Amino acid sequence: MKRILSLFLVLTLLFSLAGCAKGKETAAASEGVTDTQADKGLEIMGENVKYDPNRLVNGGEPITIDWWIWASEELFRSIADAYEEIHPNVTINIINNPWDGYFTKLPLALQRGEEGPTLFNVHNSYENLVLNYMEPYDIDTKELTADYPSAASHIMDGSIYYADYGLSTGMIYYNKDLWKEAGLTDNDIPATWEDFIEVAQKLTEYDENGRMVRAGFNYNNYFYSLALGLNYQFGDNLFSADGRTCLADSDGMKQAVSFLTGLYEEYHIGDKDFGTDCEQSFYQEQSAMVFVWGFFVGNLKDNAPDLEYGTFELPTRDGGTPYAYYRYNGESTPGINRNATDEQKEVAQDFMRFFFANDEVQIALSQDGGLIPARTSLMDSEELKDTPIVKTIGDHIDRYAWPGAMPSTVENNMKIATEDILYNGKDVDDALKTAADTISIDLANIDFTSSESLYTYYEE
Amino acid sequence: MFKRRPLQSKSEVWMRNIAMGFLILYMTIFLIIPVVIVIAGSFHQWNPLNETYKWIGIDNYIRMFSYPTFWQSMANTVIFCAVVVIFRVLLGLAIAYALNSKMMRHKTLFRTIFYMPTVTPLVAVAYVWKIMYNPQFGLIDNIFGLDINWLFDSKFALIALIAMTVWKDFGYAVILFLSGLMSLPSDCYESAGIDGANAWQTFRYITLPLLKPTMLFVVVTSIISYLQAYVPVLVMTEGGPGTSTYLSSYLVYDQAFKQYNFGFASAISLFILVLTAIFTVISFRVTGAQES
Repeated sequence: MKRILSLFLVLTLLFSLAGCAKGKETAAASEGVTDTQADKGLEIMGENVKYDPNRLVNGGEPITIDWWIWASEELFRSIADAYEEIHPNVTINIINNPWDGYFTKLPLALQRGEEGPTLFNVHNSYENLVLNYMEPYDIDTKELTADYPSAASHIMDGSIYYADYGLSTGMIYYNKDLWKEAGLTDNDIPATWEDFIEVAQKLTEYDENGRMVRAGFNYNNYFYSLALGLNYQFGDNLFSADGRTCLADSDGMKQAVSFLTGLYEEYHIGDKDFGTDCEQSFYQEQSAMVFVWGFFVGNLKDNAPDLEYGTFELPTRDGGTPYAYYRYNGESTPGINRNATDEQKEVAQDFMRFFFANDEVQIALSQDGGLIPARTSLMDSEELKDTPIVKTIGDHIDRYAWPGAMPSTVENNMKIATEDILYNGKDVDDALKTAADTISIDLANIDFTSSESLYTYYEE
Repeated sequence: MFKRRPLQSKSEVWMRNIAMGFLILYMTIFLIIPVVIVIAGSFHQWNPLNETYKWIGIDNYIRMFSYPTFWQSMANTVIFCAVVVIFRVLLGLAIAYALNSKMMRHKTLFRTIFYMPTVTPLVAVAYVWKIMYNPQFGLIDNIFGLDINWLFDSKFALIALIAMTVWKDFGYAVILFLSGLMSLPSDCYESAGIDGANAWQTFRYITLPLLKPTMLFVVVTSIISYLQAYVPVLVMTEGGPGTSTYLSSYLVYDQAFKQYNFGFASAISLFILVLTAIFTVISFRVTGAQES
């Protein structure tokens, strides 16, 4: 009996090892077919960055590459499918990892050389973790910046390792039914903060015991996000002139933060304890207006498809054009693994040219992510001109500043500071000073310089 | 004095060597090497993700002792640990004593009910409690007619974490105390009965002293596990509001896997390791002294 059991255990071990070996072999080989037809009679795509689909990649031989993403699997799958349709010898495995831990796993995977993903999605706040493992795009930088002007800010030593496919920023989302119920019309869309407060007060409701049952405006879990950028309206940049120090405790930031807390404490248009997650609260129609970035368009489509909503831009202090309304950030294009095999890199370079040159790909990306297309010529396209963000902000995106690929320490410490102010009653000056000091220590260990000085109106 | 028995045969010697070999290999790979790496890392500016490894001497330790969040997290950890351990022991002992009583019926059913939270995954429990604590639709405020934003009010957030942890973990102590109570010699109780001891005197002078080894085990393992607690914080508060629910292990997680300051996180980890060792030695000493 013992011998049989031992034999069984040994066989199990051998099968397990064989199973692992087989798995590795499968990953290296391809599931695709051989492509022998170079000229498929397809049109050349693109304006400045051009893509010729009538040529073979990898000599038409089957090849597989992995593409790591953290969200929107369906969208990225459809892009990979469109490429595979042109090049049936290429198989792109989409590997969807959760956001939490993505930037811990990715650098470790890339350290394994060609075993890591050939393509991987990038978030610019984690640039310093992955840049060492990235191959520059094999695309002329002049051509790329002609189509994608924001790519100019991503040139490093004459090369571009990743660029933006779309620009995102924050907006006010309002519930159209609640708006109508409060007797408000499109003419009431506020241009000044004063008007905004008036509108929000009309939308706020309390029960007979004085308990809030609907918030006019809710920024609770995005307090830090709203504050980081509102400083421009209050006269200060986010970074020092040399771009090395975060001005988290500037007078402008202190005023912005105090103004936002005043919306709750002085004007009672919302409450820190009412709807701690402002997105959920908006879905439940408990908050009439919320501040969220462009991605909320996609979330609303998935989580509250029947909710009628509109968007408007952040008001300003006097209703005029400010130095900058707020900040924006780019959604980054995929990176290419420097240590992938030459064949895999050839396919990845070809794929990225397709990615940049293909209008449909860019339109789908902007629609799904609630983005302003970084390829500016698409801004007037039929598919995008009526999207909430293009309609609301598209005309003067130039009045939104980009502080650069801010390391995550900036947002993390501002989140702590704003929670300390809102929930723990900490003094604004003290909380922001603590944040500024901690960010300074962290930035000293990172090679980061803000791009804020590149802002068009920086000298104003 | 314990006398060592000579090994019987060659095969027994082989068996011992193989078993010890595996054990040493396991301890080396999963304990000794990581600890050595952490000790070395604590003297470096270290980020394995972008391969930064720069000698900075004791800078991480200097920063640690001057870092306000470190001291706050240590204070929170001591409070969290002390309160949870006290409630775990008291509740565990009381329920185990009740379950061990001759008057108690359906013991197996109650044992199962009390042990169920312990075997439920912590992340799932933390998510459920997070919903229960919601100020708008949460069960707790609605049932008790309260208006408290449990997880966003620094006066209540740590208490909320403690309450969830006590509920989740007291079943473990119940089972251990119950097995301890069931193994106590009956002749002591018979003698006490003959001497006319009442229930309290029997508990105070017989049950409690005899249960001391079980108590020590529960207390020491609880302290060790609660010094490492970070999952409830991660799921329910992310250390907030502000840094008011940072526990020391969550600070390590935050510094290593969110800020990527692995060197600084290593310095804090080593401090926690030393602290855990000190607590464990104190617990053994205190119990040992009382026994002697």
